[in-house]
Amino acid sequence: MAFPSQGKRGDEKLGLILAQVGSVRRRLNSLAWQYAMFFTLAIAIVAGAIIYVGAYELSSLQFLIGSALTLILALIAIVTSIRRAWRMRTSSALAASIVDQRAELKDRIATVVALAGKSHRGSLWSYLIEDTVSHQDEFAAPKIERRRVSRGIYALAGALLFAALSFPLSRIKHAPQLAAGQTVDDLTIDLDDLHLRAAEPGEDTGMQVSADPATMRRLQEKLLRENPQSGDTAGNSLTGMMNHARDMAGRFQSKLTGQQAPKQRLNLRLADNGGGLDRNEIARAPDAQKKSRKDVAGQFEQNKSETSEKFNLKHGADAYGQPAKPSGDHEDTGVESRGKGNSNSQDEASNDHSSDQNGDSASNGGVAHGIGADPGSLFGAPTQARLGTEGFEIAIEARPVDKGAKSSGQAYVPPKVRTPLNANQEPDEPVARASVPPEDRSTIKRVFER
Amino acid sequence: MNEVQVETPTVADFARTFRRIQAEVHKVIIGHEQAVEELLSALFAGGHVLIEGVPGTGKTTLVKTLGIALNLSFNRIQFTVDLMPADITGTRVILSSEDGRRDFSFQPGPAFCHILLGDEINRATPKTQSALLEAMAELQVTVSGTTYKLPPPYFVMATLNPIEMEGTYPLPEAQLDRFLYKVRLNYPDESELTRIISSTTGPEEAGVEPVFSVAEAPEHLESLKKLVRDVMAAPAMEIYAARLVRATQPQNSRFVTDEAKAVHDEMVNRYVMFGSSPRGAQALILGAKVRALLDGRANIAREDIDGIAVSALAHRIMLNYAAHSDGIDASHIVERVIKSVRAARV
Repeated sequence: MAFPSQGKRGDEKLGLILAQVGSVRRRLNSLAWQYAMFFTLAIAIVAGAIIYVGAYELSSLQFLIGSALTLILALIAIVTSIRRAWRMRTSSALAASIVDQRAELKDRIATVVALAGKSHRGSLWSYLIEDTVSHQDEFAAPKIERRRVSRGIYALAGALLFAALSFPLSRIKHAPQLAAGQTVDDLTIDLDDLHLRAAEPGEDTGMQVSADPATMRRLQEKLLRENPQSGDTAGNSLTGMMNHARDMAGRFQSKLTGQQAPKQRLNLRLADNGGGLDRNEIARAPDAQKKSRKDVAGQFEQNKSETSEKFNLKHGADAYGQPAKPSGDHEDTGVESRGKGNSNSQDEASNDHSSDQNGDSASNGGVAHGIGADPGSLFGAPTQARLGTEGFEIAIEARPVDKGAKSSGQAYVPPKVRTPLNANQEPDEPVARASVPPEDRSTIKRVFER
Repeated sequence: MNEVQVETPTVADFARTFRRIQAEVHKVIIGHEQAVEELLSALFAGGHVLIEGVPGTGKTTLVKTLGIALNLSFNRIQFTVDLMPADITGTRVILSSEDGRRDFSFQPGPAFCHILLGDEINRATPKTQSALLEAMAELQVTVSGTTYKLPPPYFVMATLNPIEMEGTYPLPEAQLDRFLYKVRLNYPDESELTRIISSTTGPEEAGVEPVFSVAEAPEHLESLKKLVRDVMAAPAMEIYAARLVRATQPQNSRFVTDEAKAVHDEMVNRYVMFGSSPRGAQALILGAKVRALLDGRANIAREDIDGIAVSALAHRIMLNYAAHSDGIDASHIVERVIKSVRAARV
């Protein structure tokens, strides 16, 4: 039988056949790797989009579980797709079989490839090579497998589309909440109406409470009364871990959504409600230079970022007999946001607290608290109301809960209460302001100036 | 014996010779193209054929015609219930010489030929049927402790009558397994029957011309048989044949292992008592090689294996009672197995 390529040597012809099969094999393997790459990317993008959407839609605990499940499923899917791509890898024998099938060469190529490496090939080997080479146009690589992109690109395109739709839609859907996060108001409630429980390990909301010793003592007593077994919970490491994980999830959720992180330093400051003094009057007092310490009677001082929500929930009338005022009023009277940095505010808060405990500050309760240390403010109107630590109002900043704790992701966390004084310390008692005879005023003033 | 030098045949020579023999046979045999091709295929593959067909379909005529076309020595044994093994293999007889001495001398039986026709083999007792086993498998017969070689090529064609079953002895599985193919001769269709009538009832009968000369015929056939063996089979083809054979073995048969890649068709598990033996796989590959040469190829393809599978495997599969009651034939099983193995192809 005459063949057009009869002049070529057998080895060259064999090389030609193997080269064409190798070319087909490379194309097939390229498709396999493309498949793995596209599917891995698609799965990662879809998982990311699901987590992103979940950050908006789910509470911290749901988000934590959902994200973990999504990541596990994504990991399984990626491993599966890689394994599948690995199985799609084409060996020389398989490539030859595919060539035979597509070019209808009746297993000529498979036989050549299988027997090429063997030393004893039989008397018909040269005939087989010649016969196969005569069909070389039929099994050229472009005819068998054209260069193309793997069908996995559709999965990637679908994933990108899903992500492209889910990201902006989530933001648009939750735009009111995001906008509301820019304004923050105060919450004012009465201490007697406040439900307290001890913070569990890991449940660090960053909230600190400082108040005059009597108020703090009341808070402590209330805490002990309401949570007699609070000490046992400290050892509950599982709950602590859960809370820690929830906090982490919450922080991640906040980062994704751009909302304020739930774990922020919140500084609550408790003090005497200042009797009948107007808040502006307090602010104008000489002690107002201590504004940086935010000592204001009857107010919690909060440390929240500018994005946190503030609103003033008036629990009845406030200490001044006035209706609840917007946050701007509070800022005027020394209640201002200190959300610039947690560490700074934390230090500040602790300083405030320590000074309260030492009792050397004038901010230890009463209307004149914080004013009497200034000689210029020594003489004012006599105290009308009975002094003491009763009847305080507590202002608490809180975030708005539009859908309840479950959907907002911000569960109610009571303030962490510190023990104000040790056993050797005595709380300062407010000094009642009395009328001073005009002839003694200069003497008293001199004493205080000294 | 004179050694005849025969030129090494090529692939083209093989196909040409094959087609020529086929044409000579078809001068007498009308129709039965596939049967004739399978018969010749078995001849060149070095196997033996079991021909099953109702009376009058040309079984004996086919074999006789083939013998004439090949110009090889041909014997015919009519198997009956009183036929003895010695009647097939030969026996030692006492012969008197001219000087009056009497010696035992071996008288070869009809088995000593190139082409042996065992007509209605299922009418003989199993003992007599088994007398052919050694001859078919090893090309030798042993009589009274002495082994006698049979001259190659050796080709046994046995016929079976499937409808007259009274007084017959179905062939044992071991003997069935030694036949490379089982060929079925069905009733001819109308046009074939018309041609048969006109060719056999006229004044002249068709004359078959031998393809080979008497001296060259055995060597020619042997060289062609050697060429068949030289056809290449890729490992994938051998695996495919092995899978086909294993797929005929039901789960509880002694042939089946728990290999994960084994393909089991529900039909096999339901109807097959015993599947094909390894000889089935050999038959598949050898038959495929002949078909590849006829197609002008030096390698076998799956199509070649599939084409010969029914003839090579059907008679090796033992069906159970359920198959008989449901009218399931072994060829159906093989066709189903081919489909399932093809579907499971990697």
